[in-house]
Amino acid sequence: MIQPQTYLNVADNSGARKLMCIRVIGTSNRKYANIGDIIIAVVKEAVPNMPIKKSEIVRAVIVRTCKEFKRNNGSIIKFDDNAAVVINQEGNPKGTRVFGPIARELRESNFTKIVSLAPEVL
Amino acid sequence: MRLEKCWFCSSTIYPGHGIQFVRNDAKVFKFCRSKCHKNFKMKRNPRKVKWTKAYRKLHGKELTQDTTFELERRRNRPERYDRVVVENTIKAMKKIEEVRIKRESKFWESRMKGNKSKERREGLAELEQSIHMVKAPLALQADPSLTLPKVQAKIKVKVSTEKQSTQAMQE
Repeated sequence: MIQPQTYLNVADNSGARKLMCIRVIGTSNRKYANIGDIIIAVVKEAVPNMPIKKSEIVRAVIVRTCKEFKRNNGSIIKFDDNAAVVINQEGNPKGTRVFGPIARELRESNFTKIVSLAPEVL
Repeated sequence: MRLEKCWFCSSTIYPGHGIQFVRNDAKVFKFCRSKCHKNFKMKRNPRKVKWTKAYRKLHGKELTQDTTFELERRRNRPERYDRVVVENTIKAMKKIEEVRIKRESKFWESRMKGNKSKERREGLAELEQSIHMVKAPLALQADPSLTLPKVQAKIKVKVSTEKQSTQAMQE
């Protein structure tokens, strides 16, 4: 459940450290984003000497949420934090590595690159 | 579909039940119900919470090592389907369950063995210690201050018949 003003950790090495959601991509009145959804975000914290700077506006895909989500087989899963991966307009990740576990739902929303980079897919 | 074990209480998790929590180091914690999940969130140690399997096993309340537990074990190698093997397994499950129950009851009996004599010993000790409080029945009759005052006889209250009839009407 990510909505505007939500802070997210960054699960890649693109250079951003903290993001703040400012818009959920979808219909005009869409309220929340879940795993696999794209958001527009502001970089609130960044690693020094990296291409992405603070207060830059980026697109990102959500990879982990604290809010639990249901699978079709009936299981309910939740993660430790809210995290996103910075992507470009084509949907490819800007970084070259992905950190932490990632939900399998990303494959279904065609982020296979992120899934293949991830150390653990759950 | 797998029947998992709860991380907290070690009970079986059936499909569609419970919740999974994934920590950032990718360790998965599975819980059978919200009770176990909440206890985990409170950072309780299952070895210190009395109703969990971990506590009971640690404190010698239940069988810990037994060959009957070997059947129900996590096996990560998928077995090739074989009709005969399935049939034999189902047969074995029933038999092993019987054996397990028998062994558990035996274990419980042996655990409770000394209780009766212990109770008796303690009772005797208490009796010896406080024998002065026991009075002979004749002494009780002689001194009314030793017994409770006698309960007065029941007082009869008249109930008017008119009320009853009106109640019946209302019903």
